[in-house]
Formats: sequence, C-alpha cells, structure tokens
Amino acid sequence: MTFSGTDGHMTRSEGSRPVIELRHLTKRYGPVLAVDDLSFTVAAGQVTGFLGPNGSGKSSTMRMIVGLDAPTAGQVTIAGRGYSQLRFPLREVGALLDASAVHPGRTARNHLAWLAATNEIPRGRVDEVLGIVGLTDAAHRRAGELSLGMGQRLGIAAALLGDPAVTIFDEPINGLDPEGILWVRQLLQSLAAEGRTILVSSHLVSEMALTADHLIIIGRGRLLATGSVAEFIERSEGHHVHAQSPDADALLGLLRQKGATVTADGPESLSITGMESRDVGIIAAQAGLTLYELATQRASLEDAFMELTHEHGEFRAATPTPLEIAA
Amino acid sequence: MSQTLAPVRGTAPSPVSLRRVFIADARSEWIKLRTVRSTIWALVLTVVFTIGLGALFTAIEVSRWDHRTLTEVKGFDPLLYSFAGLNLAQLSIGVLGVLVMTSEYATGTIKLTLGATPQRSVLLGAKVATFSAVVAVVGLASCFAAFWVCQALLAPKHAGLSISDPGVLRAVTGGALHLVLIGVIAVALGAAMRRTAGAVAVLFAVLLVVPGLVTLLPAPWNNDITRYLPNSAGAAMSAVARFPNLPSPAAGLIVLCAYAAATLILAALALTRRDA
Repeated sequence: MTFSGTDGHMTRSEGSRPVIELRHLTKRYGPVLAVDDLSFTVAAGQVTGFLGPNGSGKSSTMRMIVGLDAPTAGQVTIAGRGYSQLRFPLREVGALLDASAVHPGRTARNHLAWLAATNEIPRGRVDEVLGIVGLTDAAHRRAGELSLGMGQRLGIAAALLGDPAVTIFDEPINGLDPEGILWVRQLLQSLAAEGRTILVSSHLVSEMALTADHLIIIGRGRLLATGSVAEFIERSEGHHVHAQSPDADALLGLLRQKGATVTADGPESLSITGMESRDVGIIAAQAGLTLYELATQRASLEDAFMELTHEHGEFRAATPTPLEIAA
Repeated sequence: MSQTLAPVRGTAPSPVSLRRVFIADARSEWIKLRTVRSTIWALVLTVVFTIGLGALFTAIEVSRWDHRTLTEVKGFDPLLYSFAGLNLAQLSIGVLGVLVMTSEYATGTIKLTLGATPQRSVLLGAKVATFSAVVAVVGLASCFAAFWVCQALLAPKHAGLSISDPGVLRAVTGGALHLVLIGVIAVALGAAMRRTAGAVAVLFAVLLVVPGLVTLLPAPWNNDITRYLPNSAGAAMSAVARFPNLPSPAAGLIVLCAYAAATLILAALALTRRDA
C-alpha cells in the first residue's frame, strides 16, 4: 500500500482554510477505545469524505464535533470555537447524525418547526428547506409514516434549517434509491461550491470517490490516511500484469532476469509487477514463448480501501489459517 | 428540485444572551408539547379525573348526608372530596411529565434538541418552565371547575363554601400547584433516568406504594414520615380543614418544592455530565 499514512497530511486544495479542527481527539466508552488520538482538519469549499469500516469511530467522532459526547481527551473546534460555546449553533453548524431521530407522531413540518424555534430560525425557512429536499407534499404527513428515503430527506432538511456554513452528514445516503443518492451527491457538491464546509461519512468508498474532493480515512478510531480523492485514486491504482502461458516456468525465470517481480498464481498463470504488459509481451515473443492471455489489472479504489483498513477493521470475517484447517 | 440556498450567512452579529436561548427553547418546547397526541390525552384525563372524581365523591357524600357518624360530621372538609380527583390526576400529569424527557431519548430527538442547545441546563429550565405553565393553566381550570361543581352539589345541604371564604382561594390554587410540582418532579425524573418505564415506575412507587408501606411502620414513625411524603404535602396544599396526618399548607408547599428542587438537581447533573 503506497497511500500515505498517518504522518503524511497531503496537500489540501489551494485556497481552502481549515474550519473543523480535531486535535488528539480520544473517546473511551468503558473498555472500548472508540476514537484514538485522532487529529485532522476539514476545509471549507469542498466535500470531505470521512471513510472507515463500520465501527471504526466515525459516528463517535461526529457526535463529539457537535458536542453530544464529551471527548475523553483532546479537543475539537469549529471555526476556532468549541461547539458548546455556540449560541444558536444551528445557524452555524447543521448536522444529520441519525435520520430516524423523529417523533413518529409529529408531522414533518412540525418536526422542523420546533427545531427552527430553538434557534430563532424564521418559520418561513421550514417550508423553504422542505422544498429544497422535495418534501413539500409530505409536509403534513406524520414522520412515522414517511418512507426510509423520505425520512432521510427530512433529516437533511433539518441539517440545512439554519442555513449553516458547516454541515456534517453521517451516512446520508442510507436508505436512498439511486435517484436519491444522485440528488444527495449533487446537493453536497453544490453546498461545497457555495463555500460551505461539508463533512460526510460513509463506509462506501465508491460513493465517496464520486462525491468527495478530499478523504479522511480511519480504522479502529485511528487516522489511517488523508488526501485528495485524486491523489488517493492515483496512488491506489497500483497495478499488476496478469499473464497466462503454457511456458509459465520459463517465462517466470526470464521476467525475473529482466527485473520484474513475478509470482506464479497457478500452473500456467503469472502475476507480474514492476513491468508493463507491453514489455512482457515483447520479452515473451523474443523468447518464442506462447502467451494466450496478457492483461493489466488495476486495483480498484475499493481494493485500496480494503487493503488500507484490512488490519484495522473491527468486524472482519475470519479467514481460516492453514493451521486451523489442519487441526 | 431546487437546491438554491441563501448565501452563507456569517455568525450572528450580536452575542445571544442565555435569556434569549431560554425563550427560544420555551417556544420550541411549546410546539413539541402541542404537536403530539399524548399531551392532549394526558391533559384531557387530568381534567376528567379532577372534575369527575371530585363530583362523584361529593355526590356520594351528599347521598348519605344524614347517615354520617359524628366524627365524620365533625371532620368534614367541604373541599376534601372536591379535590379527591387530584390523586389520580397527578398520575396522568406525572406520566406526561416523564414523557416530556424520555420520549426524546426513546425517539432519538434528544440528539437534535441538545445539538440545538448545547447549554443543557438552560434547555432543562425551558422544558420545566413550559410544561409547568401548561400544567398550571390546565390545573387551575380543572381545580376551579371541580370546586364550583362540588360546592354546587353541597349547596342543598348548606354545606358548600364560597371562593371568598377563608383559605378557599389558597386551597384551589394549591390543588393546581400540587399538579405543577408533581409535573416538575416527573420531568426531572425523566431527565435523570432517561427511560420511560423506569421513571414512571419510580414516580408511581413514590406516589402510590410508599405511602401504603409507611403506614405499616410502628407509631410514631408512620405518621411522622407520612407528613413528609409528596402525597401528603400535595394534599395539604388543597385542604381547608387541618388533618392530624397532614402538614400545614405552607409546610406542604415547602416539602413538595424541596422534592422538586432535589430531583431537578439530579436531572441537571445527569444532563450536563453524561453523554447525550
């Protein structure tokens, strides 16, 4: 894995300023160390994806950012201030942490109305955000009767209520259909284009590749990597050449002589790194060796993410070791 | 779908006072209260219990008027039966008060509530104040109604009291205040315990079970302790005649306020010290 680790904060996009700042943030729930000495910054004007496997501490981190949970150690500030210092915080920070957090008997409109009242947000803004998320027609339906996707939209409406400069979304596409996912992606990007700070968590790396500009990757509560999505893709797409040949043994020796790293995947199958497929083909042809398959295989972003988080995943299917099989 | 948003607004120019946060939260709590059905049901029950049971018990007393024992005649308080319903009404107010807090934890809206007001003690104050105001209005209306209905039933026996008689206005408002303070205790219990079942169980145990258990204690402990239970304190506030087991109305008020203050301190500690 070549992507930079905890020490290598990579370049942020030009001209952005850090808005959310975490410094050595740590959270312990009893014996569980949910967040472990986490430090990173989130800049304005771009979508920052917060990636990690389930149980890696994303939600705990977000709860601390908005002051719901107190850190065991370290601190987090938004525009230089702790969340608890804010008066009428919804006007500065909007958060979607749990879209199911509604009273099922209250209408969508009343749900937003009480939330607006807490921060002196004008009543007209309630109908405005219902319009933005496409729930105008469902305004008078009880929250408990809304579909999963509509509930998610209501949660997003609540986050946008105070027209905040900073928005935080925990898994916003959960329960959304493909159209809804596209809509969230466009919304987040348009919010960022307006100069707002967007932190959005997900365990779906492919979605983040499409939505985010910048990535923060954590595993087991620890920072694994940060960097722009472009850098991540560039660095993670380490590739290898796959070759199938009846003369695999001879080809293997030949390629190693020429400096490639070669492993045999099967009796007639080779995996080659450190050499382009073009060169492999030329070398084989010059030696008169038959090739019946030659292909460059690119590691996907998912593979890179899996590799990065592999040893950090909280819940991982156990792969039986040879010893266990023998036993 | 339009995604146009107003340009990003800067932070509020003038610092927002805690008083303003409190008022905004009180408005919000009022919206929360009136937009769920359980509030309406609990308040309707409170009115029905207070007026209905008061009228029922007074009517029974009137029907056996000439067959009462001498001690019953001597110890007769025309208001005792008028406010018999408060014993039940305090339970519906208690459950509603608990739900004011615990329903937020059960549904998860507490995350939004505390996210909108990080000043958690201010939020608790706004919740308690708003709920108290609602209970005060409903309590005063039903206590006055119960008083007038019951005194009208007693009028043919020339035993009824007028609102201008000594202690009567105090007793009627005392009945309403009894409900308000039980409501405050219930909200605070909900905040301290977070779970509906647990908080309701504790409240009902204190109001219903403990008084019965205390009577089993040997004298004079039984009477001494009974005087300081929330039930007796509340009953003293709405009585005109003096009963040996009850404290004075003023002492009753002080005792009930002390219970409310103690549970509020627990609630504030739980709310500010624990994670949401």
